[in-house]
Amino acid sequence: MVNTGVLAPLVPLLPLLGAVVIGALRRRMGAVQAGALATAMIGAGFAISLVLFAGFDTAAGGTTVRLLDWMAVTGMDIPLALRVDALSLTMMLIVTGVGTLIHLYSIGYMHDDPRAATFFSNLNLFTFCMLVLVMGSNFLVTFVGWEGVGLCSYLLIGFWYTRPDYNYAARKAFVMNRIGDVGMVLAMVLLFHLFGTLEYAAIMDKAAGMRWNDPLLVTATLLLVLGATGKSAQVPLFTWLPDAMAGPTPVSALIHAATMVTAGIFLVVRGSVLFELAPFTQEVIVWVGTATALLAASIGLLQNDIKKVLAYSTVSQLGYMFVALGTGAYGAAMFHVTTHAFFKALLFLGAGSVIHALGGEQDIRKMGGLKGKVRTTYLTFLAGTAAISGLPLLSGFFSKDLIMAHAFQHGPEVFVLLLIGALFTAFYMFRLLFLVFFGTYRGEAEPHESPITMTLPLVVLAVLSVVGGVLNLPHLFGGNEALKHYLGTAAAGIANEELVLSAATEIALMAVTLVLVALTIVLAHARFVKRTTLEGDPAAMPPLKRLVAERWRIDELYARLFERPYAWLSRTLHRIGEERVVVPLMNGVGTVAIRTGQALRKLQTGNASFHLLAMAAGIIIFLLITLLTDPR
Amino acid sequence: MTALLLLLIPFVTATLLMVLRPTERARGIALGSTLASLAVALVLWAGFPGGTVTDLHTAWLPSIALDFSLGHDGIGLLMLLLTSVAFPFIIGAGYGERLRHPSLVNALLLYTQCFLYGVFLAQNVVLFYIFYELSLIPVFFLLLYWGGEHRRSITVRFFIYTLLGGMALLFGIVYCLVQPGMDGSMDALGRLQLPVGTQTWLFWALFLAFAIKLPIFPFHGWQPDTYTVAPMQGVMVLAAVMLKMGLYGVVKVVLPAVPDGALYWQRTVIVLSLVGAVYAAIIALRQHDLRRLIAYSSMSHVGVMCAGLFAWNHFGLTGALFQALAHAVLVLAMLYITGALKERTGTSGMGAMGGLKLRMPRLAVLFMLVVMNGISLPLFQSFVGEWLVFNGLWEVDRWLTFMAVTTIVLGAIYMLYAYQRVMLGPDKWQLEVHDAGLRDHLVLVPLIAITLVLGAYPGPILELVDGPALTLLSLFP
Repeated sequence: MVNTGVLAPLVPLLPLLGAVVIGALRRRMGAVQAGALATAMIGAGFAISLVLFAGFDTAAGGTTVRLLDWMAVTGMDIPLALRVDALSLTMMLIVTGVGTLIHLYSIGYMHDDPRAATFFSNLNLFTFCMLVLVMGSNFLVTFVGWEGVGLCSYLLIGFWYTRPDYNYAARKAFVMNRIGDVGMVLAMVLLFHLFGTLEYAAIMDKAAGMRWNDPLLVTATLLLVLGATGKSAQVPLFTWLPDAMAGPTPVSALIHAATMVTAGIFLVVRGSVLFELAPFTQEVIVWVGTATALLAASIGLLQNDIKKVLAYSTVSQLGYMFVALGTGAYGAAMFHVTTHAFFKALLFLGAGSVIHALGGEQDIRKMGGLKGKVRTTYLTFLAGTAAISGLPLLSGFFSKDLIMAHAFQHGPEVFVLLLIGALFTAFYMFRLLFLVFFGTYRGEAEPHESPITMTLPLVVLAVLSVVGGVLNLPHLFGGNEALKHYLGTAAAGIANEELVLSAATEIALMAVTLVLVALTIVLAHARFVKRTTLEGDPAAMPPLKRLVAERWRIDELYARLFERPYAWLSRTLHRIGEERVVVPLMNGVGTVAIRTGQALRKLQTGNASFHLLAMAAGIIIFLLITLLTDPR
Repeated sequence: MTALLLLLIPFVTATLLMVLRPTERARGIALGSTLASLAVALVLWAGFPGGTVTDLHTAWLPSIALDFSLGHDGIGLLMLLLTSVAFPFIIGAGYGERLRHPSLVNALLLYTQCFLYGVFLAQNVVLFYIFYELSLIPVFFLLLYWGGEHRRSITVRFFIYTLLGGMALLFGIVYCLVQPGMDGSMDALGRLQLPVGTQTWLFWALFLAFAIKLPIFPFHGWQPDTYTVAPMQGVMVLAAVMLKMGLYGVVKVVLPAVPDGALYWQRTVIVLSLVGAVYAAIIALRQHDLRRLIAYSSMSHVGVMCAGLFAWNHFGLTGALFQALAHAVLVLAMLYITGALKERTGTSGMGAMGGLKLRMPRLAVLFMLVVMNGISLPLFQSFVGEWLVFNGLWEVDRWLTFMAVTTIVLGAIYMLYAYQRVMLGPDKWQLEVHDAGLRDHLVLVPLIAITLVLGAYPGPILELVDGPALTLLSLFP
């Protein structure tokens, strides 16, 4: 028998303790000490999560652990409480498992940074927040983690704080997330007034009685989607994620690829029952996801910064997950969350290893031929690239094809667009692989392989990226979609989706995808290995290509549409509102007071006869008034 | 009778300071006095049985319905606690600012504290008004004699503007007093039942003073300048405590006396408050002086609070009252940090800062924690109040909630920008400054601890206001 009430709170509290201790002793701790402590805290969390997982009874559905009263006034009782069920356990294992590997990796990566202890403190704090996010038993506790991870993301993007552009990127990430949070807060207020509670379990029960397409539910779910687009970097709130690459690379791996950005996906899965009742919202999600998948993948084709390519790739993959959510395939979305956590963390850490090997170089035009110099990094990166491109039997193959099949069932046009996205993905990933590891070396630094603390996580993640597909092996390959059925015990809505395509259709779709992906890889090989084609200055490109290389100029568009007008508004309101209205209003009062005073002062002449006269006049006037108005 | 100590301790200490002028030890004595008051307030809290406690009732001038009657309910106790918690920090901030004539400064501060306690304890309307106006006087002198550049004109403007509101309030109170059946007690205000037509205009007579004191848009003209030139401790008193008199006055005077008037003007006031909240948040972005930024930021927070009060439902009311305490703690910390920065850099202009984190990593961390509270991250105190207010506004009109919620984005924009301008970036000025020391930690760590503890476990404070809010609401269907 596992004591969930004691063990579950420990999972987030250990990293919190780590964050506080390391934070307090950050000047006395070296990178290795701080890193070891931080890793141990997350590792312990992983171990406890495993115990909870092993002792979890799927038949019971889930356990709620109430920690503290929180929003407790008459008419409202929202406690700080955690929920352990199949969904939160899956996320806990991903967060602590991948988190442990990335913490371990960071010991090597941040070894020479004088503020390594601060880094580990923040990384532990992030893990705490992420665990609160996935373990919250109600929307508001999830929101605690939701905002917390946003803050940690801000702190870690701006980790090297003397660089103003990094600080700008950090603020941009936070503010864009906050725009999404407006939706999140409004959704929570609406749901609270609709159901009288924010507990997931209670809402799921009560929602069952709601009408299909109820306008309030549609509104609530659309608002939740707004929150999710912010956190999960979807159109239109995605531009912060590529900029977030300003942070140290392990941060990009943990926060901006494997965990935090999947929070939006998680939220929709958590609220699956609500979304099932709001088909309009689902349609919106499908198209937001498709647009994001395609747009980001296209940008990835022409980027030259190794981390930026991966960042746009992440945005694009999150789009695939969104599409899965929109088609009601929550199991498929969570499956892709899991495999993506493996291979994208792997790719980022691999990129970090390359950057580390080259003394900080991130431009792929100055790399090349690293295959023989950083052998482990190369092999693991290859595994990650193959997995994300969906090569047969690797983890990404199963999870992405599942999404594609669901998309086809939803509408062939979505499938076609996602297929194009998949081809883009294969192209930019192999372009990246070829330009970094093949050909001849084009840089100056002396490449060297990374230490064992960095390569070990790479190897583990590479193995997971290769075999991760078994978690949810489809029927076609002799499996029984284990993950989906496991998650289905958390909320009924999750396991509802069924593929009704015939095996022949499924195989045909798969075959088409595979042939086209293979052709794309051959094309990439021809372009980047046989000849080494490097992208030059965008200004010299043909117009459309230039537009893509300049990221569809969306950043410029936002600057022009929002940032500058807002700054103008701030100045103008100050000039007109304050200086023309508010201050004159106050001064008017003062002026009236002074004028009145001056006028009245003239009466105080000091002349005794005038005063006597005034007094007599006053008495007479009052007498007259009394006499005239007296009814008697 | 314990409550009487709250009036006596600061009053006697202040008088002694005035007479004896112990220049060197003035701050220490004042600090001791405020800590003693804090202890008394905590004793009151510990022994608080709920409901309304009458502490003292003596007839004074029956001809003008003036009784010396003191008492408190949960809301009053919250305000007493707020005042008691705030003042040790306000006095403590004086160790950094080092104004001339410390005995006088501290005496004036303690007089203010005494009168503020009076406001929150008074159970008689006239007594309330007397304390309300008295509290302005020491602050006036503090601003006039210890302020910065242009202090004269700015202080006079502040004084006249506030006084104008005070006159309107006096008129309104007198009008209420001459009504039949009015015995002058605060409770009796709730039984007036004036005709609706009267209430609609009387509302503004009563509300104007509080609207200026809070201040809500567009009556905030006095605030940015005053915050900029006043001595730091004066600003702390104004922002952390005196502003709450406005909220308290609305809850205890305006809403009970003219409920129909409040209902009639409800939308107007909420919209003004929220327009002000959004407007101030937008303007805050372009401020170059930290104190002006705090002035606008404070106005933005107060707008949300005032909107919560006028939502006139349980969530709005409890949220706004909880937020009163949260805001006091927040603004004290913000102002203290501004003072600490000025102490080191000689200015509160952000243009002359930047990259200070390199020099002051500890202060940077403390500042960050305060900023987190300022942008209402969950598990910080501000979030609790705002969440409740958002829910309260929802029951009035969903679009009002939307307006209020936008401030969480706008707040993040100006707060993080300000933080960056002060702390982050390259070490432009190469200032030789020292990091946060013991004194700074003694002030900031407890303030931050309060925000975190009450952010995660707001129960004790919510409990205080839950009952009185229900009682208030039950008076008017």
